[in-house]
Amino acid sequence: MQFVRLVVFGFLILSVLYLCITLYSRSIRREKLEDEWDANPPEGATPDMRAIFVKEGMTKYESGLRKKLILLVYVIPPIVVGTIIYFIN
Amino acid sequence: MRNARRILRIALFLIIGLWLHYVMPHRDVARVTSTEIIRTDFSNFNRMFYAQADSGTVENPTRDLRLINTERKATYFFGLIRGGNETMVYRNEDTGWIYPPYFKFDSSDLQAESAAFISTSEPQQWVVITHYGWRVRWASIYPNAVSIRPVESEDFRPFPWVNLVIFALLIAGFLFLRAMWRQFRERTVDPLADRVGDQYDHVSADLSERKGRVSRWLGTWRKK
Repeated sequence: MQFVRLVVFGFLILSVLYLCITLYSRSIRREKLEDEWDANPPEGATPDMRAIFVKEGMTKYESGLRKKLILLVYVIPPIVVGTIIYFIN
Repeated sequence: MRNARRILRIALFLIIGLWLHYVMPHRDVARVTSTEIIRTDFSNFNRMFYAQADSGTVENPTRDLRLINTERKATYFFGLIRGGNETMVYRNEDTGWIYPPYFKFDSSDLQAESAAFISTSEPQQWVVITHYGWRVRWASIYPNAVSIRPVESEDFRPFPWVNLVIFALLIAGFLFLRAMWRQFRERTVDPLADRVGDQYDHVSADLSERKGRVSRWLGTWRKK
């Protein structure tokens, strides 16, 4: 029963964490893209071109490896728990 | 206001510090003198300083409690200063799947190991007992032993590697959360607040202009 409780609550907490990290990482990526554009904008750049540049970068991020690495949030805690169980018992 | 905030901050710091001191692993150099089992009836106050019944069994209002009686080297100031010998009694309970996250299920085995280490005659066998918790005599609270292993002599000084790693992870986690919060504020809350502030400026400028018109009109009635 305790084990079920740990799994359920652990999953909920990790999901919240996953969501937060996803939002954070996306926000960081967008800021970096914007900074990249602003640092060296091409001749005759319009705000529309900037938006397109950022959007393209974001689509690339959404399908990239970095985004999938956030799933490690669900992988690492069970490994840690397993290691603790192995060493304590 | 500033004082109130300061007091709140100190209180929070103290509570977190005490809680960490309670749940973090400590290691004592000790000599097991005996093991025993007593029946325990918990009070509402000291119940929270005990774990639950052994994992896999049912919780009852009263149960047996495994104890390990030892003589240990007294330490002060996080184990940096060594004192003489003193008596210490550890409880030996499963922490199970719940708090604190030691995931200890083998209290029976630990009891057997400690019984094997009982050492009352010379040469004495010293052991390192990893535990968490406090010994509070007036409330019958014991630290919970987590593991036990033999050492060569009583002069052995354990070094808290595990605690260092845990502290490093905690600090890293705290910094990460703070970075997340800052990013959220910079990119989401501040632009929103700016927009609201802009709107407020527009409205108040509009208002003052209107007020100006009214007072100018009133001024026309005043004597020049």
